[in-house]
Amino acid sequence: MADRRTSGGSEPQFGKMSAVRAASIGRLLKRECWSLLDFYSKRENLPADVGGADPRLVSVPPPSSQLDSRDQLWRLHVALLQCRSLMESAIAKEDEELGVDQDQDQDQGEYASLRSTVKERLKLLAFCVSELLGAGDGPAVATPASSDSLERADGSLFELKLLVLRIFKEVDYWAKTAVAILQTLSKEPARNTRLRRSIRSTRR
Amino acid sequence: MLQLHTSCRPAWLICSLLGLSVVHTQAQNVLTAPEQVSLSPNMTTQQIFISWLGGGSTMFDVMILRTELNESVFFDTLPVTVNQSTGRYEWNWTSAEPLECTSLSVQIRSREGQTTSEWSDTHILQGEDLPTNRKFKMYPVDRAVLAGDSTTFCCIVEEGRHFGRVTYGNTVVNATRLSRRSYGFTVANQSPPNSSSSGTNVVCWDSVDKNKLSGTVVFVGYPPLLSDFFCETHDLTSAVCQGRRVRDTRLYGRKRRTVYSLNDRECAKQTISEQLITCSVAQWEGNWTLKAVNPLGQYSMSDSAEIWHRVRPVAPQNISTVVHAWNATMSWKWEYDSYTSLALVCQVELSSQDNKTKRTFTGVGLRTVILLDLYPDEEYSVRVHCGAQKNFWKWGNWSKPYSFRTNIDVPAALDVWMHINNDNTGLILWKPLTARESRGQLTSYEVTLWSPEENLQHTETLPPDTTMLPINLTQITAFSNDNEVMASVIAKNAAGGSPPESVPVPLHLTDQHNIAVSRVVYMDSGFPLVWQNDGNTSCGYVVEWHDACCQRDCPVEWLKLSTGNTNVSIESANFQPGVRYNISLFTCTLELLQRWQGFTQELVPSRSVPKLEISQQDSDVILTWGSIPLVSRRGYVLGYNVYMSNDSQLVKLANLLGQGSRKHTIKGLSEGPYKFTVKAYTSAGEDTGATISITVETLADWLILEILASLGLSMLLLAIVTVLCYKKRKWVKTAFYPDIPQPKLNDDWTRTQGPLDVTSSPHNMIHVEEKPEFNSMKEVLVGIPEEDEEEEEQMIRDEPVDTDEPTSLRYYNQMIDERPIRPRFPDSSDSSGSSLDSGNTDVTYTGIQTSASSLVFPTDHQCASEGHQVEMSMGGDGYRPQTQTTASSDEALLTHSPHEPQTASSGGYKPQSSWHLDSPVESGERECLAPNLGSPTSVASTQFLLPDDESEEHREEKHQQSSSATSWFTNLLTSTKP
Repeated sequence: MADRRTSGGSEPQFGKMSAVRAASIGRLLKRECWSLLDFYSKRENLPADVGGADPRLVSVPPPSSQLDSRDQLWRLHVALLQCRSLMESAIAKEDEELGVDQDQDQDQGEYASLRSTVKERLKLLAFCVSELLGAGDGPAVATPASSDSLERADGSLFELKLLVLRIFKEVDYWAKTAVAILQTLSKEPARNTRLRRSIRSTRR
Repeated sequence: MLQLHTSCRPAWLICSLLGLSVVHTQAQNVLTAPEQVSLSPNMTTQQIFISWLGGGSTMFDVMILRTELNESVFFDTLPVTVNQSTGRYEWNWTSAEPLECTSLSVQIRSREGQTTSEWSDTHILQGEDLPTNRKFKMYPVDRAVLAGDSTTFCCIVEEGRHFGRVTYGNTVVNATRLSRRSYGFTVANQSPPNSSSSGTNVVCWDSVDKNKLSGTVVFVGYPPLLSDFFCETHDLTSAVCQGRRVRDTRLYGRKRRTVYSLNDRECAKQTISEQLITCSVAQWEGNWTLKAVNPLGQYSMSDSAEIWHRVRPVAPQNISTVVHAWNATMSWKWEYDSYTSLALVCQVELSSQDNKTKRTFTGVGLRTVILLDLYPDEEYSVRVHCGAQKNFWKWGNWSKPYSFRTNIDVPAALDVWMHINNDNTGLILWKPLTARESRGQLTSYEVTLWSPEENLQHTETLPPDTTMLPINLTQITAFSNDNEVMASVIAKNAAGGSPPESVPVPLHLTDQHNIAVSRVVYMDSGFPLVWQNDGNTSCGYVVEWHDACCQRDCPVEWLKLSTGNTNVSIESANFQPGVRYNISLFTCTLELLQRWQGFTQELVPSRSVPKLEISQQDSDVILTWGSIPLVSRRGYVLGYNVYMSNDSQLVKLANLLGQGSRKHTIKGLSEGPYKFTVKAYTSAGEDTGATISITVETLADWLILEILASLGLSMLLLAIVTVLCYKKRKWVKTAFYPDIPQPKLNDDWTRTQGPLDVTSSPHNMIHVEEKPEFNSMKEVLVGIPEEDEEEEEQMIRDEPVDTDEPTSLRYYNQMIDERPIRPRFPDSSDSSGSSLDSGNTDVTYTGIQTSASSLVFPTDHQCASEGHQVEMSMGGDGYRPQTQTTASSDEALLTHSPHEPQTASSGGYKPQSSWHLDSPVESGERECLAPNLGSPTSVASTQFLLPDDESEEHREEKHQQSSSATSWFTNLLTSTKP
């Protein structure tokens, strides 16, 4: 679960413009993630929906209608941070197990580029969401709850590939979720939402 | 059988039993079943190490079964030796399938010929398909396979699920059942995937749930392969070895990569760039072995050399230069001090503009060279690399490029020439210096005109962008008595002036046209010129050329040749196709030796022939045209083609050879329009052509001649007829104009009825006019006194005869009542009516007159004052009888006072009523009726003319005129009177 941090002095606030920008980044991530998934599943001859019944890699509280916008953003933020952690772990593991001189393999070069783009976009989206939650808070740190799944893999390359595919799907899922949340947020009337700690505390 | 032995031969039986007993005892002692069988699997190599004790034989039967299905995997009789150290029989068996696929049962027995021991106890190597291992599994895991080999895979289905299919990459493969949950399949002749670097996925799918699967990855590749292995030294101490990877092993990832080692030491400083493997060691060892190992194999290469044979110096560093105009000193530093005693050979690459050269220098510990033969004021880039001079091995790496610019120097000497125009002007010309010849930024040119014999000198300074100086020979001649002066030109830059270059300038024009011009054909990118060697010249030749169409201050090009040259090919980047060039060969003393003309390429004329004209001569047509201007010819005009346009086609009529043929006659053309086109042509073809049209007609002169001839003939015929009529006038008179009998007056004409007093007015005359539309036989009486007739006849004879006047027939009445008709103003109507009445009586006809000239009669004042109204019909209505007096006329007669002056009246007489003249004003001005001459006018009038005392003379004149207007025919007729 994410470690929520709030600022002591300034009230967190977000505006419509920031939400619109974050939604745009989310749409970019969604498109790039789809490209990565498509490329990977075709290259590995694996169906994109493989492992659909497996538990989610990102561990956050389930969505609820009881959550207000800020709590939804918090939930999204935590998920994105976990996704980022998963992506970084997957890339490191892949490079170790399947590392190749990219100059020799154009295919690998394209894949590495797509992978890197998604990772960086994911990082940017997480940052934008954290900005929406309150710039003065500093970077929120998410608990790397799911990255150990890479360690739990039985060590075969095939398992690693399945796991990487699951991570990409997880990022795809959260990119779509982010777009939905941020679009909803950006359509709300411009306002300075001030969420009081007391309210959040009550909800906890 | 034992009973039979006991009864017959007891001793033989005993022996047999003893023998059998011995044999049986021996067999039981040697062939015992193997014991303590041990199975040691190697999952990676898929081998089972089997060892056992006992058996008492060297041959063993080994049987391996798949435990669950009790299927035989292996059965064979093998010779097995005892390991002396352990005392156990040992044997390795390699399985085609991964050992994890299913449990295997192993049994062994001893064999001695056909005799075998009992089977050993069954020993089971358990597979991964045990019920306790419920997971989906696939074996072998992450296997690297040599390309072309075969691999057997197996899939262990998850407990409770069913096998669906297996795929190798994207290919479905048939599988066989190995156990309850295990399925095996073999892929033969494997090849590396085309693109993917992540291996080939081999996947086993559940039959129902497509999300349930297991898989493995296989890497099909090659063992390492190297080439070009060598070791060298840069610092004269350490070794750097390098090999080239010949192929990609296609094995990726940490576990499958190729590991390199040099002399069995893993390369500590290993760099892989492109296909090169570089391995460094601190000390030179002399013998080297590079080994490359990957999961599929290894490859080794060796090299051996002394260190001094493998010296490859490093790249020089810190290059610096000391620059001059024509040379530069270049220095650098070495990274290692050990080079100080090393004999080196160095190459300096010198790049300037688009030129690149290499210069080689040698020396011990070389670090400074002098670069000679540089050009002043030029940018250079240098770099250097070196090798060992002794036992040269390889050039070292190039240093970083270093740039410098040489200093400037005085410009090079100019190439000077002169060109004289036809108008005593000329040009001093010089070729612009190239940047390399300028040796620095030019500041100016100086042109000095000087006389070698007279101490005269004139210098002009010109800006650096000029290449000529116009001169006026007339002005120079005014100051110098020599036949020529010298022109010297120098170029100047910041370093000084170039050596002066001179050319003589003749002050008096020489006729150059006495030297014939020959044509030269352009070939091989130049005009090939050949001439006879001129023994008199000692300073060479100058070939000059320019556009032949240029008349003054032409852009001249020239080429100076040394003595002895008798041919040259003139080439220029400025040559243009279609331009005629004049090429002249001079001696250096400006004596013209030879002249040529030529085109680099002839083109069709740029314009059509000018001044194309056409004329008709009888039935011929003559075409003439002008010469095309020289500038427009663009080639040698070989001739002209004459075409006739026929509809839209051109039909060639003639081909006129030669440029001077500019006239062509087309003969025998019939009447009609024609269109002709003339085209000049060169060797390149025809121009667009000039077109002209003409319509050929019969000559007008002939037509005129024909008309004149016809008229002449007509006149001649008329003259003949006239003469004949004159000669036969009596007959004509009799035939056509018999004498008219005198009228008979039945009534007594009283003065009360009308004051017609004919006799009292000898000049009174009445004309009776006949109008065709009326009764032609109706006649009007006109009284003409005899003496008047005679006078008139006399007058007519005196008058010239106007043959153009329409002729009229005229009757002369024979006057019965000679009483004069006196005017009666108070009763003019009566008089008129009496006149009419008289007309209706048997008054004889006296004449018919159609000419208006006969309107004016010789009347006296008395007659005119009688007031008789005479009707006069104007215009072209024809003749009307005098009796037809219109009402308007009557009214006019009544309204107009007889005493009122009539300005529009004819001369001498004034009509009592208004006359409608063609142009009253004009008639008034002329005071006569002359304008009415020629008009078909009624000449009959009953209107009395009022006498005009003032115009008596006019009247007389008028009478004469009117008399003269009578035709000769009237005279002819009157002359016939007896």
